[in-house]
Amino acid sequence: MQVIENLKVKEKVYKEKLENGLTVMIIPKLGMKKKYMIWGTHYGSLENEFVVPGEEEKTVVPNGVAHFLEHKMFEQENGTNSLDVLTALGVEANAYTTNDHTAYLFECTDNFYEAMDELMDYVQHPYFTDENVEKEKGIIGQEIMMYDDYPEWKVYLNAINAMYHECPVKIDIVGTIETISKIDKEVLYKCYNTFYNPSNMVMVICGDFKPDEILEEVKKRLIDKKSNGEIKRIYPEEPETIVQERIEQKLEVSMPLYTIGIKDIVADNCNKNKTEIVKKHIAIEIILNLILGRSSRLFQELYKEGTIFAGPGLSYEFTNIYAHILIDGQSNNPEKVYEEFKKEVKNFKENGINEEDFERIRKMIYGGYVKEYNDVTDISRMFLADYFKGINSFDYLDEIESVSKEYTEQVLKQVFKEDKMVLSIVG
Amino acid sequence: MQYKEKEIKKGIKFHKISTDKFKTNLIAVFLTTKLTRENVTKNALISTILRRGSKNMNTQEEISKQMEEMYGAGFDCGLDKTGDNQVLKFYIENINDEFIPKHNENMLKSAIEKLLEIVFNPYTENAEFKKEYVEQEKNNIKQKIEGKIDNKARYALNRCIEEMYKDEPFGLFKFGYIEDLEGIDAKNLYEYYQNLIKNCKIDIFVSGIVPDNIEQLIEENENIAKLQERQADYVIPAITKKETNQKENIVTESMEVTQGKLVLGLDINLENEDQKYDALLYNSILGGTANSKMFQNVREKAHLAYVASSSYSRQKSNIFINCGIEIANYEKALEIVKKQIEDMKNGEFTEDDIQNAKKGIISTIDLIDDEQDTGITYYFGQELSAHKIGPDEYKEKVEKIQKEDIIKIANAISINTIYFLKD
Repeated sequence: MQVIENLKVKEKVYKEKLENGLTVMIIPKLGMKKKYMIWGTHYGSLENEFVVPGEEEKTVVPNGVAHFLEHKMFEQENGTNSLDVLTALGVEANAYTTNDHTAYLFECTDNFYEAMDELMDYVQHPYFTDENVEKEKGIIGQEIMMYDDYPEWKVYLNAINAMYHECPVKIDIVGTIETISKIDKEVLYKCYNTFYNPSNMVMVICGDFKPDEILEEVKKRLIDKKSNGEIKRIYPEEPETIVQERIEQKLEVSMPLYTIGIKDIVADNCNKNKTEIVKKHIAIEIILNLILGRSSRLFQELYKEGTIFAGPGLSYEFTNIYAHILIDGQSNNPEKVYEEFKKEVKNFKENGINEEDFERIRKMIYGGYVKEYNDVTDISRMFLADYFKGINSFDYLDEIESVSKEYTEQVLKQVFKEDKMVLSIVG
Repeated sequence: MQYKEKEIKKGIKFHKISTDKFKTNLIAVFLTTKLTRENVTKNALISTILRRGSKNMNTQEEISKQMEEMYGAGFDCGLDKTGDNQVLKFYIENINDEFIPKHNENMLKSAIEKLLEIVFNPYTENAEFKKEYVEQEKNNIKQKIEGKIDNKARYALNRCIEEMYKDEPFGLFKFGYIEDLEGIDAKNLYEYYQNLIKNCKIDIFVSGIVPDNIEQLIEENENIAKLQERQADYVIPAITKKETNQKENIVTESMEVTQGKLVLGLDINLENEDQKYDALLYNSILGGTANSKMFQNVREKAHLAYVASSSYSRQKSNIFINCGIEIANYEKALEIVKKQIEDMKNGEFTEDDIQNAKKGIISTIDLIDDEQDTGITYYFGQELSAHKIGPDEYKEKVEKIQKEDIIKIANAISINTIYFLKD
């Protein structure tokens, strides 16, 4: 097993790629009773067009299949539901679907191996019938309607739609009532057989384990399955431009919600090596905090005049096919927040970044990375999500020192472009 | 992990949780006071005004800068309604010196000092809060009060509680009321604050790699030293007889929603303190997990909902059932929900259900050691209970519960309010 150690947080990751293509990462946390296991596939809501290995023709599936599949994986041929079985063991089991991956997980203090039996069994044995697929449409229909009542989800999705013309990041992960109505068991099996191949999956285990032993336990529970080769994923061509600068929707809320989006150029990320992307990500976090963080001039000004009441959310999201910055919050005057933000970006570009502020914010970001290593849940999920981006999570701790003020100023000029900004308002 | 408590002065307690499992130290100060209609809004304001500035850090900007300088020490304030008490919560989470690139700082000491200063030594001008801060925070609280409609599921739950506890403290909204704000100014709020600090229950928690002289450090801290002993003014929950046989109160309201939110508020009539553990187990079987009756019957069998669960309020002996359903399915869903409550009364649950529920509860107790905030939450919860017990005793109490205990609880339950939010 490959061992990667990080001296800053004093943690180690043991990594192994098995013969069938499955990657296993083990992060020992001695003395912890809490244990976490997560098994993910590099398959999320983005994958609606692809070529199944060994086939010539491309396959197109309805929106929302990855998420539907996640729901259906728990159903077993013997009539049991794996979520029930896991819950009965006293473990906390769950699953989720994102744009670029789907993951199945549990956390526990006791019955780890029994839970591992169940998790590895159900993820490797799908059982879909016409009847159980139909039934799920009612439940997912309610999930879709629940999101309809979440203004924070609407304002996010609208911002994405204002930035992207074609990219499937535009698609709601859960699909719509209409698209999920077209899902049947054949579609589910096809997607399962394509994407739930060990070579497209990664497993992360964190807790008080001996790496060699736990790896053997994983191997014992794997069914015989060959690596199926590369899946060709087809994505529509996405122009670099935004669709529209402003987008607004009416909903009953006490104060408008806003999201400011800045579309980034993906090709810039793809051509770089992965540590470069990590550096860029760190620089963007520093810039966002310098401009709108709690100690920033702009935040203080907007807070004092009552335009905003809490620190906005600041994030950079990216995969191989999209990259953007999101700033979100609530305000009675989102237009003002947006205009002042644009002005401040311009100021920073013209006057450069203050050295002292830069050092302080960099320290803060470093502390934030260290905190991620407190909990087995956070550690596991971070390593899994970063893995699908081709990143080793330790890189953030290692690269932060090399992110200089000059480099950050360069990123500011390259990424924070006015013609790539959008404003989404719900209220 | 090792837990120790020490009364610094009457009404002021220090809690030490020594653990080396985390990269961080977590420091918390909780101010607990009686929830009243008169003071609810003022307390909400105090919780936000204190983060605006302290004696040595006069502005929010200055506080933020200091926190950033300490490798992003996370400073946070919160406000809780816990039974008939209102709790003002203040936290700082800072990374252990061991994980700081330069080892010459004593960050824990510095973090404790800063937190105590923010809570007990606020920035004042002419013996009152800064006027500008008070006006801004009044506006902030106003937004929070108006914001209660934003999360529809939470709104429905709050409305159900409000209906059940009309004219009682627990029915109050934790951020208070807009009409109260007008009468509050920098002078009377500061007077109120001084009064609060003099009379409230004060709990200070430090969790992490804690030095041996920590008690001394806290006791000798200038902001602690100046506090007086007190007969803390808060409510210890008692078992009270609830009126049964009352007719269900049915409330339906309209709002712009796609999905209907159904909430049932149940009363539990307990005879003794130990039955609280039976009620916890009852709730777990009824709607606490994916194996529960609610999840299985409303969601998995009838496919009426994505969310179908219940939660237990230990302080007030209530259970709240939540479902997000198609509006047209109201009658159907309600019928199934009521059937689950009836089935529980008739003992229609298995020994397996009981064992599973026990395992689930015990594993959450086991997490006290492994999640820093869970540890503090547990010990503070015990601090506010009539009878304090440690995690091991807690587990024992859960272990020994029998089926008849749960049936007894089931028969001591009645539906108080059925609340439905629709379009």
